[in-house]
Amino acid sequence: MAAQRQASSASQTPHLSPAELSYLYTSLSLPGTPIRPDGRSPTQFRPLAAETDILPGTNGSARVGFADGTQAIVGVKAEVERTALGIQALSTAEQQDYAAAGNDDRGGGNNGGSKQGSVSGSGQGSWVQMAIEIPGFRDDDALPVFLAEMMREPLVESVSGGGEGGMVGGLKGRLVINRRWHWRLYIDVLLLSQPLSYPLPLLSLTTHLALLATKLPKLKSKGEEDPFFDDDWNAAEYLYPRVKSTKHSSIPGSISVHKVRPPVTLLVVSVAENIIFDPSREEIAVADAVLAISVTYDTDFDRLKLLSIRTIDPPSRLTQPGVPNSENVATLGSTTAAEESVIVNPSTGEEEVPGVWRPRRGGVKRATIAKMIKMVLEKGGVGEEVLDGLEGVEVG
Amino acid sequence: MTDRRRINGPPGGTRPPIFASSLESTSDIVAERPQRQRQPNELRKIFLKTGLIPSASGSSYLEFEPSTSLSAARSKPKSVIPPSSSLKLACTVHGPKPLPRSATFSPNLVLTTHVKYAPFAGRRRKGHVRDASERDLGVHLETALRGAIVAERWPKSGLDITITILEAEDDRWWGDAPDSHDAAWGMMNVLAGCITAASAAISDARIDCLDLVAGGVAAVVADETAGRETTSQLMLDTDPADHRSILSACVVAYMPARDEITELWLKGDNSKSSVGTDNRGLGHEALIDGAVDAARGAHSVLAEAVRESAQRFAGLPSGDFT
Repeated sequence: MAAQRQASSASQTPHLSPAELSYLYTSLSLPGTPIRPDGRSPTQFRPLAAETDILPGTNGSARVGFADGTQAIVGVKAEVERTALGIQALSTAEQQDYAAAGNDDRGGGNNGGSKQGSVSGSGQGSWVQMAIEIPGFRDDDALPVFLAEMMREPLVESVSGGGEGGMVGGLKGRLVINRRWHWRLYIDVLLLSQPLSYPLPLLSLTTHLALLATKLPKLKSKGEEDPFFDDDWNAAEYLYPRVKSTKHSSIPGSISVHKVRPPVTLLVVSVAENIIFDPSREEIAVADAVLAISVTYDTDFDRLKLLSIRTIDPPSRLTQPGVPNSENVATLGSTTAAEESVIVNPSTGEEEVPGVWRPRRGGVKRATIAKMIKMVLEKGGVGEEVLDGLEGVEVG
Repeated sequence: MTDRRRINGPPGGTRPPIFASSLESTSDIVAERPQRQRQPNELRKIFLKTGLIPSASGSSYLEFEPSTSLSAARSKPKSVIPPSSSLKLACTVHGPKPLPRSATFSPNLVLTTHVKYAPFAGRRRKGHVRDASERDLGVHLETALRGAIVAERWPKSGLDITITILEAEDDRWWGDAPDSHDAAWGMMNVLAGCITAASAAISDARIDCLDLVAGGVAAVVADETAGRETTSQLMLDTDPADHRSILSACVVAYMPARDEITELWLKGDNSKSSVGTDNRGLGHEALIDGAVDAARGAHSVLAEAVRESAQRFAGLPSGDFT
């Protein structure tokens, strides 16, 4: 079983017969209008219920439940930590101190200011730690590790500009307190139910909401002093700063909006020519290719930006093949209409008989990948719809 | 997970002291930063040999050409610390072999990938227990290979692929502060090497595949040269030690005969580089295409190594072909 457990997709190994798989594949691959088992449109998401600030002991938390009964809780905790400096930073700091000591009476204060500016934009990705707990998996199994890396990556990768409500250097930059101190962020993700479908969309949405709800205590000390915080929790500042809504029409003006938002990771599958979002367990079981695409919205950029893409091993490669009548001993002599098989690739003996399931082989074409990314990123596309929907959730 | 069964050494080495009197100028340390000597679309040479481990059913050894600064430092060492590193890894394939009796029935080949850094592979010591990044690499490698293997040819059997990384790529130049560009960029080069080596080892084990999968890396880098403003550029087969800042990178596993990608891993935010110039040549599609071009280059080396392996298997003298 250990070998089975290793695979990131093995948890998804569907218990569907070849005939069921073939039926699903055929209805999902209908040109233009795929028929999904639950009647959704290709870009429609499952309905969900969300709430935030449910754990009083954390800096921010959220709970999301999908209609199929899967639920996840995310808690974010922050901790102040000393920053380790690299050799270059140390040497430049020494030079600057030396220069400041040399002309103490002239530009000492000025020098300090510029030094402050040069370091404030940089942070380290290792300051964000993510742990995922999924029932039935050990914390060092492949699936939780893979999911945690997949969700942490876009979070620390994102960079953004300054300005009002902006975050210089993205989340990493926001965690810098001063040159010697920084925040360390622990994001703990807990899947409450069994992983009925691939849990990535659920966990990603929950993490997004928890980060929006995260507050850090207000800093009272200035500059390079040891950090000292306001003990009034009401004065705490949001990790992702907010600005009053100005022109956003879909959201009422009383709710403040974010200039920079945490990324969301969307699960996209392709079945033949069709692209399907938020696949359920049955749909992912017959997918040709599965991609996890992380996007975020940046007001400076004024459209969605891509942060990371990862392929996920589609579980359809692990399914059992169906046996066509021509090869079946029981039906060999029967006079039923001969099935027409189409040889897809003569060198590998890959042949497709309509209505007989074959596990998927090979990879995904570049054109398909480009199409999937385009559908997520385009204006008015699925990515924008999801982020707008999440913005509507009342936080705090 | 911490390793509590062994007494582990310290994770990092100590840097030898450099005395101010021995330096000719204060800019001495900065001048040692390695520079990319290759063209943007020029790949490093790859050494790939199969069948070096006789006890395994298939094996391969892969090595990247050391950068110019590294080979210069090896012949005339100026410092105890090498300026950059080059990838070296060994891959073994065991199987196809019957699954253990306790395992559940599987109609397909059960593929197990195991990627491990040797403790001495990087500048920071790795433990004996696999950490998160090594497990992550294992999953990526498995995704890349599973697309190429015809799994239903081998029911009820298992295939173990073990990769030992003897020398890893650096994530950044060693002298940089860890915050300069701190993502694990070296891991992507390691993955590309793992894919190419594993593909050669699978062929060496005579397991038929749809095609030879080759790995390739491309990245958008922003190099600030003295005096001029930062320019972003697409580079193939980047060595992270050569660059001051990598904005985004992409690794693919590519099957040239079918023109298909079995594994795609792209990360990084290059919106800043493309927003100012409005240059579509630095977008994600250019990045993926660049990585595919790099994989095509690796594929030619891979094909040659597999041919050598086949000639050895057929008992023909190897090395005569040109």
